Amino acid sequence: MYTAPPSRRALLRAGLGLGTAAALAACGGESTTARTSGDVTLSLWTHDPGYEAFFRKGIPEADRLTDFRYHLDVTRAGPADLVTKLLAQAVAGRGTPDTIGFEIGSFPRMLRGDIAPRLLHDLTPDIAAVPGLKDDLLPARIAPYSRDGKVYALDSDTPMVVYYYRDDLFTEWNLPTDTPTWEEFAEVGARVHKDHGASLCVVSTVGSDTGQVVQSFQMLLYQRGGAFFDADQNLVLDSPEAEEVLRFLCEGLRTGFVIDISDYYGAAMQTALKTNRVVGLPMAIWYKSYGLVSNVPEQKGKWRVRALPRFTKGGGVTAALGGTGFGVVKDKANTEAATDFLLNTWLTHEGQVRRFTETGYLPTRRSVYEDPRLNAAQDDFCGGQRLFSLYRSLLPDVPAFYQSPDQSILFDVLAGNLLRAYRGDVTPRQALKQTAADYRDQAGR
Amino acid sequence: MTTAIAGRARTAEERSGTHGTAHRPRRSWAPYLFISPFYLLYVLFMLVPVAVSLWLSLTEWVGLGTPHWVGLRNYRLLATDISFHRALGNTAVFVLVAVCVVVPLALLIAQALNTRGLRARDLWRTAYFVPIVVSPILVALIFGLLFDRQFGLVNSVLRALFGTGGVDWLGDPSLAKVSIALVMVWRWTGYLTVFFLAGLQAVPRELYEAAAIDGAGRLRTFTTVTLPALKPVTAFVVVTSFIGAAQIFEEPYLLTGGGPAESTLSVTMFIYRAAFQRQQFGYAAAAAVVLFVLVFGLSQLFNRLLGIGRATS
Repeated sequence: MYTAPPSRRALLRAGLGLGTAAALAACGGESTTARTSGDVTLSLWTHDPGYEAFFRKGIPEADRLTDFRYHLDVTRAGPADLVTKLLAQAVAGRGTPDTIGFEIGSFPRMLRGDIAPRLLHDLTPDIAAVPGLKDDLLPARIAPYSRDGKVYALDSDTPMVVYYYRDDLFTEWNLPTDTPTWEEFAEVGARVHKDHGASLCVVSTVGSDTGQVVQSFQMLLYQRGGAFFDADQNLVLDSPEAEEVLRFLCEGLRTGFVIDISDYYGAAMQTALKTNRVVGLPMAIWYKSYGLVSNVPEQKGKWRVRALPRFTKGGGVTAALGGTGFGVVKDKANTEAATDFLLNTWLTHEGQVRRFTETGYLPTRRSVYEDPRLNAAQDDFCGGQRLFSLYRSLLPDVPAFYQSPDQSILFDVLAGNLLRAYRGDVTPRQALKQTAADYRDQAGR
Repeated sequence: MTTAIAGRARTAEERSGTHGTAHRPRRSWAPYLFISPFYLLYVLFMLVPVAVSLWLSLTEWVGLGTPHWVGLRNYRLLATDISFHRALGNTAVFVLVAVCVVVPLALLIAQALNTRGLRARDLWRTAYFVPIVVSPILVALIFGLLFDRQFGLVNSVLRALFGTGGVDWLGDPSLAKVSIALVMVWRWTGYLTVFFLAGLQAVPRELYEAAAIDGAGRLRTFTTVTLPALKPVTAFVVVTSFIGAAQIFEEPYLLTGGGPAESTLSVTMFIYRAAFQRQQFGYAAAAAVVLFVLVFGLSQLFNRLLGIGRATS
């Protein structure tokens, strides 16, 4: 039987119909019927392939401990892009992930307005439901991702700040490795610079990354007992501790104890490390992997880690810098499954042990620090040093880091004023006063 | 032959639309269908976003939930925002560099490249054009290395030649602007040169011959023949350079992040920062509207001053 070919008009109508159907389908929301067991594919967004590997390896344990059989669909993007994309998808009403990793510097965006409570699952009841977990979690690492007493993400690390130094050069130059205070260490540093042209401390001056500029100051500020914000998100930067730390860094730059490097991770730092212009610096524990091993792998075995010297006037022996909090998007079909997955990979004792052995990130549960497997671990890059026992001793001094939705404003204005103070254009006192004034001017908008 | 003549006659009849009394002209949708994709996209991706931006600028919105109507508050805040004023000032500097440095430099280079008897002309042209096709990320990376205070090539050369170095190209507020300007010059001059070259090649040779006969020197020929002949091209280049520089983003964002102390913060960076770092979408939209009005208004002014689109007498 002969069938006439469809007319142009019919084709046009069919095309329009299909297009309309597709548009309507695209505009439809996602199903929110909660899955409570069985196969589930979680959409996971992260900026770090290390987290992806960790979670993939954690699937068998999560399958064993929950009613779900997990599969992962991973999307990777830059830390800031993840938040932008999350918000865009949330506005679109579809395509949001089930769980997402917030690099700590990107999380303050979620604190603006009611974004976090609208979008993220409150993990507080889930934590409370696990016996002993709430008291075991380090409050210092809950603070950055909390608001109004609710926890919206779980940290990947307890990123303590330690002092890295070149053991071979310290020995060769007959430098003490146990100087108790920063003030004494600065005197040693000035002599080292005079005799060898090397520096024992670093501040970043990379203009394109205000976070790095601020970090140099932040580490010592929090160690000294200062802070940017209090628990109520009020600015508390303008303090005697902050002035003392900034004055210390400015004086160090003048004597050569401190060197200004444009970038902690790039070519400038690599050159400084390779040419022995930098033979020691305070930095977070993850810097060993991201800064030292990646830039100077040939210096394996020459580096050591110690606790930070204390400030004479007070403070602790460490600070915290960095971290990534994983949260769960609320009101989705997989919200319960994602929460269970996170709790049963991220927060179990075995999960936290595995996280340190596989990624180098320190546990966020206090009890895990007693695990003999971690305490026995030796670090090849640091000449076989048993680093974990050092980290365990620093644990009581880890300060809480509270974030504010206006943190990026503070970082912008603080970075500029820090650079001006480093250059000697303003005094430390003026720099901090100006920072507070600029912040109040902009944060009120 | 007869057929051909008859055919031509029919065609003329059809063109004149006088087929006969029984024929009524049919309304064809085909032309509208053919031109519709542009207008659909124009409405979707230009008019709608502009309208939404205008509305958003009158609200306070964190990027999620319902925007709250605040009227003109965002504009009032912008009027007193030192940061925005700095961004406007910095952008004005970048615009001046683009219009007063890059454009004349491009014209001079084009004139040089258009010289008769120039050897390896294509090589020179390509060399000048290459910077614009290099990824901005690479440009920032390379210039970041060049301008590094401690280990940068520029300071190393200065140290080797003059015994002085340590210039903080990207850390000093004034020098950071200069550094951005240098990158702009390096990146955009070759691109604009191409437009001037095309214009120069279209200048009738007879004009130069007449000028030579009249005894005009090189400078006189340039000012009385070349420049007037290039006026339409110059006008186009000036306006597009102005618009491009007013919206400058990549160079300061990648090289200095707008710092130090906002000394290289451009208006587009201000907008980006407000929207995607601070979740102040209403405020960002208001700044975008201000930028749009300024760029549109000044472009119109340039159009009138330079006579773009008007026939030359």
